[in-house]
Amino acid sequence: MAVCIAVIAKENYPLYIRSTPTENELKFHYMVHTSLDVVDEKISAMGKALVDQRELYLGLLYPTEDYKVYPSVPSRMFRKLHNSYTDVMCNPFYNPGDRIQSRAFDNMVMSMMIQVC
Amino acid sequence: MSVPDYMQCAEDHQTLLVLVRPVGGVSEENFFRIYRRICTVSHPGVRDSQRALCIRYRHHYPPENNEWGDFQTHRKVVGLIAVADCCSAKDWPQAVEKFHVQKEAYGATLYDSRLLVFGLRGELAEPPRPDVAFYPSYDDCATVEKRVEDFIESLFIVLESKRLDRATDKSGDKIPLLCVPFEKKDFVGLDTDSSPVSVLLGLKRHYKKRCQGRMRKHVGDLCLQAGMLQDSLVHYHMSVELLRSVNDFLWLGAALEGLCSASVIYHYPGGTSGKTGARRFQGSSLPAEAANRHRPGAQEVLIDPGALTANGINPDTSAEIGRAKNCLSPEDIIDKYKEAISYYSKYKNAGVIELEACVKAVRVLAIQKRSMEASEFLQNAVYINLRQLSEEEKIQRYSILSELYELIGFHRKSAFFKRVAAMQCVAPSIAEPGWRACYKLLLETLPGYSLSLDPKDFNKGTHRGWAAVQMRLLHELVYASRRMGNPALSVRHLSFLLQTMLDFLSDQEKKDITQSLETYTSKCPGTMELITLPDGLTLPPVPFTKLPIVRRVELLGLPASLRPQKMKSLLGQSMSTKSPFIYSPIIAHNRGEERNKKIDFQWVQGDVCEVQLMVYNPMPFELRVENMGLLTSGVEFESLPAALSLPAESGLYPVTLVGVPQTTGMITVHGYHTTVFGVFSDCLLDHLPGIKTSGSTVEVIPALPRLQISTSLPRSAHSLQPSSGDEISTNVSVQLYNGETQQLIVKLENIGMEPLEKLEVTSKILTTKEKLYGDFLSWNLEETLAQFPLQPGKVATFTVNIKVKLDFSCQENLLQDLSDDGISVSGFPLSSPFRQVVRPRVESKPVNPPESSRAGDFSHVKTLEAILNFKYSGGPGHVEGYYRSLSLGLHVEVEPSVFFTRVSTLPATSTRQCHLLLDVFNSTEHELTISARSNEELILHAGECQRMAIQVDKFNFESFPVPPGEKGQFANAEQLEEERREAWGLEINSKLDIRWRVPSLQRSGEASVEGLLNQLVLEHLQLAPLQWDVLVDGQLCDCEAAAACQVGDPVRLEVRLTNRSPRSVGPFALTVVPFQDHQNGVHNYDLHDTISFVGSSTFYLDAVKPLGQSACLGALLFLYAGDFFLHIRFHEDSRSKELPPSWFCLPSVHVRALEAQA
Repeated sequence: MAVCIAVIAKENYPLYIRSTPTENELKFHYMVHTSLDVVDEKISAMGKALVDQRELYLGLLYPTEDYKVYPSVPSRMFRKLHNSYTDVMCNPFYNPGDRIQSRAFDNMVMSMMIQVC
Repeated sequence: MSVPDYMQCAEDHQTLLVLVRPVGGVSEENFFRIYRRICTVSHPGVRDSQRALCIRYRHHYPPENNEWGDFQTHRKVVGLIAVADCCSAKDWPQAVEKFHVQKEAYGATLYDSRLLVFGLRGELAEPPRPDVAFYPSYDDCATVEKRVEDFIESLFIVLESKRLDRATDKSGDKIPLLCVPFEKKDFVGLDTDSSPVSVLLGLKRHYKKRCQGRMRKHVGDLCLQAGMLQDSLVHYHMSVELLRSVNDFLWLGAALEGLCSASVIYHYPGGTSGKTGARRFQGSSLPAEAANRHRPGAQEVLIDPGALTANGINPDTSAEIGRAKNCLSPEDIIDKYKEAISYYSKYKNAGVIELEACVKAVRVLAIQKRSMEASEFLQNAVYINLRQLSEEEKIQRYSILSELYELIGFHRKSAFFKRVAAMQCVAPSIAEPGWRACYKLLLETLPGYSLSLDPKDFNKGTHRGWAAVQMRLLHELVYASRRMGNPALSVRHLSFLLQTMLDFLSDQEKKDITQSLETYTSKCPGTMELITLPDGLTLPPVPFTKLPIVRRVELLGLPASLRPQKMKSLLGQSMSTKSPFIYSPIIAHNRGEERNKKIDFQWVQGDVCEVQLMVYNPMPFELRVENMGLLTSGVEFESLPAALSLPAESGLYPVTLVGVPQTTGMITVHGYHTTVFGVFSDCLLDHLPGIKTSGSTVEVIPALPRLQISTSLPRSAHSLQPSSGDEISTNVSVQLYNGETQQLIVKLENIGMEPLEKLEVTSKILTTKEKLYGDFLSWNLEETLAQFPLQPGKVATFTVNIKVKLDFSCQENLLQDLSDDGISVSGFPLSSPFRQVVRPRVESKPVNPPESSRAGDFSHVKTLEAILNFKYSGGPGHVEGYYRSLSLGLHVEVEPSVFFTRVSTLPATSTRQCHLLLDVFNSTEHELTISARSNEELILHAGECQRMAIQVDKFNFESFPVPPGEKGQFANAEQLEEERREAWGLEINSKLDIRWRVPSLQRSGEASVEGLLNQLVLEHLQLAPLQWDVLVDGQLCDCEAAAACQVGDPVRLEVRLTNRSPRSVGPFALTVVPFQDHQNGVHNYDLHDTISFVGSSTFYLDAVKPLGQSACLGALLFLYAGDFFLHIRFHEDSRSKELPPSWFCLPSVHVRALEAQA
């Protein structure tokens, strides 16, 4: 079950972050933030090897005591998330770099968190 | 073994552990002085050998770790150097005692020991011991290093002997089983030799292999320590094989790790710890840059340092190739480490070993730049559960994790663990929380969260980094610095938090932060000073540029009345003297740029200047900004700070900051300072994002006086129509009757600090539809100027006459009347039959028009507006050529006084005179008297209309001076005509001198006919250019008085023509027609019997040139007595028709023929 989904801008700040146990949100913030090291590492490694062929799915970032952190969840779920993100980006009133404040995106994320177990 | 050494790295496996201990009253300082000197001897060369030794010094080592010395020999304390301080011989035995205690603690593993004694010179009675050295003092101990080297050599000898001892011990008779501490009890009572059961079960063989394997591994360790890398590799390999076969996992792990260590030492001679890069084999000539790479071709040819002899490389290459297989490739190292760690992890008691192995592997991976795998090792290390760690150990553990993450480039993880370590410093379980350490560690996490403490970094572009975690960190910094007892620091951090994270703070957080900030600043106000921390980090000041947010800064010019202006020089102010060209695109371009920067107005020294800021408050509550003032340079500036209170989430709000420049020059406004929540901020405009400014440099010119004017008239709320950019400082208004004159007394007060030396007054009448006659405003400046220079505080007066003379005609009505009364102005003589028609109109005629319609027309109030402009200067500003101007707006409401509803003329008896008939209408609500010239006053009641007749001499307009020539050049004929008529009007008016008076109001004024004189009237008032004189009997006949003559006598009749017109006229034919007026309307022309002409009754006049004269003579003979009139009639002729008929207005002659008196 997904407990936290975050969309990170390329400048390393969250465009969107949402977690289900809302009481300890900061913990997830830290978790996602520290995972970015791995994303950086993977991307820089990928940059050398595959320039064109973009692998959107980077795999498990790292397992922590309680959770596993994926840069994006595999398969169908990820596609849904990415499509939804694309929709947000297509919104002419969305300013790239702003926080995502879209109800549609919100609902999608919530459905993912509840549905997938 | 319970205390992990997080600093371990793979190459530590080749080191000999030497413990340096203080014994007997050595001060810490002195001990470390010696310790540092000892530490310099870390890679001593060994005599007669190419082998290198590495020594690891420790000043503290837990004895329980020493117990693992058999497991990995580098954990074994093999040497002990004790440092003792003996002031006198008395202390000596005590020192020796302690030395022995120390020796005993590590006795099982020690190869050798030394005691360094300071303060004694060996003046002891005892015989000198080889393991004791005496030094007189800490400064006089040059041989310490030498002695340490000797000591190490002795260690080497022991090591070498042990190695040879174990290595050659191949008999296999009885190899002792090496054990780690926790294994010992497992093997107690297990007699492996004699028990037949064990033999039966093959345990003996198993046990023997185990002993062999462990011993091999031990020998490998010794070889590695002794600098025989290749030998150690061989031993390790053998050990691995042996131990794998018996599933002795713990020792198998150790053997694998030994293999890894040896390979790492081989591949990375520069070391993996990353800190002591100089750690390498002595005599190694590898270039520094190669240190961190593994050697090229390491797999193919291996050069064994141990095989190096004085003769060079061992020629037996086959052996070397065989060894090449022994060394692990860099990839294999990691695999083997993984394997080793997995074996270690089977034993709970080997947690420290596992942890250290992980750390060592991470360091290797860091060098190999394989961050991902390194992170896996680290991740594993994080979850290795050791026994309950002390708080200090926890801190150490987290710090090391952080460092390792940093090492592999995982800055965020590093920061995370560092922060955890910081939090650990102040964990609630700690009795004395180390806030200082916590703070220091927190500061180190800043880069990991991409946070700098310089607010300038946040000015550009979007926010960088993860605001939520950054905010958390800043909160922690604030808290830690507060608990450290450094309020200035916490104020600085809190300000920084508020300033940079404002966009991310919720309303409640904003409130909370500002509240705590106010609490802090009440004790320690925030400043703009750089805070320097003890470790050299500086915290730049945090100006609150967002509290409030400034959107626009605009320097305001002085108000119009105070704005200095430059006197125009002859060359012209705007002329650029730099270039001879009037226009050049290059210059124009440059000027354009300059103009952007520079402001086109000036400020004046000593006068209050203003800068307007558009600000808004982003806070959800009222923001109190105190002490808001300007930051300037270039000119001494006295800033007058303001305090303001901005409502919550206010929109743009204008704020005006003021100050007084004290000197002259160019002043630049750099920014503003504020005090918000007790924090002083200097906000520089350059650093404000998204600010609009229209230049910030302005010239300050020398001081000028200030003039204040007050008038005798009431101020008015009327604002004049704005025109031509004149800004009016004061408006006054007055109500006048048309034609009235009023004095305006202006008080000029110098309210400045400089004497007022110059004053110029000009007036400007704002365009009005009304036609104005005469001077509206007139004044005499001399009297006022006589009071100059006007010192500060002094008052001068200045008088202006306001005279309003608008049109007195009542236009449409007038025209109408004239048209139906056209006859009255025709040029017929007095005795014309139409005179009777005209005459009745002369009598008084009360006007009883329908009040409603006419009143509206007459009571129409007209407005005149004018600006009086006072240009003044004085003081130093005058010297510089500046002046100020002050405008006084004048608003005059003109109420109608009298109207001339109709104008007409009547010929007088003399052709040189005529009567001007004016119908005067009193449009006031008061009784009014009107008089003209010397005539008696005519009384008019309110709304009454009366005709007044004024006898005037005809005017000779030709003799008037032509209006000034230059005007004529431009004006067309119409304008010329217009001007001429104005001049005539003026002349006529001055002759008429019509005045009115309202006795009840004590007001009087003039009335002017200028506006109502039309062409027709003017022609009648004009003296005809042809002047006709009729002389009867030599006497001029011009009036009604009859010329007397005697019946029977011929009377001479002369008609004289003087041509004053500019053209020649004539010739004319005149016929004298005599008649008798019976006074009853009957004219008797049939007088053939009574009058006889001597000669012809018709005269001919020749053409008369301009200014010429002509005359014709005739004679009359009256046969009977009586009153006769002579009418001189023109013969109609085409030419004379061109001239106006009024030119031919000949006087009629009245002759009274009397009976001859005998």
